[in-house]
Amino acid sequence: MLTKIMILAILLAGVISCQKELKFDPVDEPDHNIVLRFKPVVQFDSVEMKFDTVTYKNFFKEAFTVKAFKFYIHGIEFINTDSNKTYPIGNEKYFLVDFADSNSIKLKLTVLPYKYNRIAFTLGVDSALNVSGAQTDALDPAKGMFWTWNTGYIMAKLEGTSPVSTAPSKMFEYHIGGFKQAESVIKRVTLLFPFGENVDMKSGKTTEINVTADAYDWFNSPHDIKISANAAVMTPGVLAQQIAENYSKMFTVVEIIND
Amino acid sequence: MTIRWTIRIALFLILGTVWIQACKKSNGGSNGPTPISFQIPAGFPAPQYAFTSNPLTAEGFELGRKLFYDGRLSKDGNFPCASCHQQFAAFATYDHNLSHGFDNQFTLRNAPPLFNVVWQKQTHWDGGINNLEVQPLAPLTAPNEMAEDINNVISKLNQDATYKQLFKAAYGDETINSQRMLLALTQFVGSLVSADSKYDRVKKGTASFTPQEQLGYTLFQAKCTSCHTEPLFTDNSFRNTGLAVDPTINDKGRMRITNNRADSLKFKVPSLRNVAVTFPYGHDGRFISINQALEHYNSGVQVSATVDPLVKNGIPLSANDKVYLQLFLRTLTDSVFIKDPRFGPPE
Repeated sequence: MLTKIMILAILLAGVISCQKELKFDPVDEPDHNIVLRFKPVVQFDSVEMKFDTVTYKNFFKEAFTVKAFKFYIHGIEFINTDSNKTYPIGNEKYFLVDFADSNSIKLKLTVLPYKYNRIAFTLGVDSALNVSGAQTDALDPAKGMFWTWNTGYIMAKLEGTSPVSTAPSKMFEYHIGGFKQAESVIKRVTLLFPFGENVDMKSGKTTEINVTADAYDWFNSPHDIKISANAAVMTPGVLAQQIAENYSKMFTVVEIIND
Repeated sequence: MTIRWTIRIALFLILGTVWIQACKKSNGGSNGPTPISFQIPAGFPAPQYAFTSNPLTAEGFELGRKLFYDGRLSKDGNFPCASCHQQFAAFATYDHNLSHGFDNQFTLRNAPPLFNVVWQKQTHWDGGINNLEVQPLAPLTAPNEMAEDINNVISKLNQDATYKQLFKAAYGDETINSQRMLLALTQFVGSLVSADSKYDRVKKGTASFTPQEQLGYTLFQAKCTSCHTEPLFTDNSFRNTGLAVDPTINDKGRMRITNNRADSLKFKVPSLRNVAVTFPYGHDGRFISINQALEHYNSGVQVSATVDPLVKNGIPLSANDKVYLQLFLRTLTDSVFIKDPRFGPPE
């Protein structure tokens, strides 16, 4: 009798363990909604960047217009630094934020209800995915963010024109990539919520978080990048790493609307 | 007693079946694609690309084969993969030093033959491609090769009902995207295995070298195997073999990928399998005969900072040595492979 029960128990355990849908932990439900919105700006967080039609000036007084502005993010986390509580959101998915595509700048996510005061994410594409072959969705090479002759992802792109450019058609093109250890441009970005405040995100409610990305930051601090000297950066290396260091500081959480 | 046992056994079987079903991945239909197993030839090492995330199927292979021979993957329709990779030349370009593509343009380099590519860690002469699956993107988008745009290719394929059927057969639904296209091409190209030359039959004991071929083999083992290592006849490393730089092309090889001066003028060691049918030779196809290539090692090595220590002082080869070596190298021609109808154009 005992053996029969044992056999039954083992078989049933086998059945149950194979049902992936079963949830054993009903407590921690990530049911607070997040709308994470990215907005392109130039120089000041309130000045919205416009494509092509508006001319801006960088730190070196070089005039420029922007034709393309995009970047990869993944590994988004909400953090409360007081309690050291971290909650990952977005299921390790990759997002290509492309300011020319309004569908890509608003990410809808869910988070575990809690008080948070920071957001973190990785800017770029992890080295493993740079060597894992054909990808799809945001990482589809058809998105134009993939180098084909020296394979690897372009992790961020800023393109436009400038009268000081020495390239054909006065264009400048910063295609920033590099995943190998010595030339990596992968950056972890952590952003404080406005005034470092804890935001209480409650079950079933929604929080809208507006993050600006400043194109101005690509050109200086800590590294001086003049369009007149570098109209095109299209390969991994020191210059790409310097630009990545510059742009990794381009984000600001400007507004949180907590429902 | 018998009834109790029958019940027990029945119970066991029923639960066992439930258990198996619960663990089975749903295939979304009874007639899914037909799996093919990849055969590693006897004596070959484990491949670098093992089809783990791209399981080989008859339908995937057939789709890849159709894509490989389809001109629509190029901008003007004239340059399928097969235009530079011809089967009778072991999937190299016959009689062209530099491969050529869209708008009568030349590329930098000689089109390498396509076989045993799953044993390569990186592909291309400079190793710029880090995964076999993304290799097709390079010729597809290079302006002097197929000159296309990935989105354009996908939309052209989408306009063809046959492709929709082939993608459905291989992947379960009609979705055509770059990932599926690349995986299918990889299934075809990765299946191009050449391991049935006279040399292989000698190794298996079903054929024997002539005395001259044997002399050539002995010479080969003494002078060539450090780089052209058996059984692949390449160690897949990057080396500077002392070729003078062509001033027009000014190709720095591997350094273009690594930005490391130590890699200047280094190129991938090519396999010597099928060497008799893949002329011309060298990364830029500068040698039109095997004899010329051998003479380079005998007398032509240019010493520079990164020249390989193994060839720095040349490799002395007498006129007889060269004859015997060539007789041996001809035993590496896999005439089954270069005629195999499975690898030819689909009807």
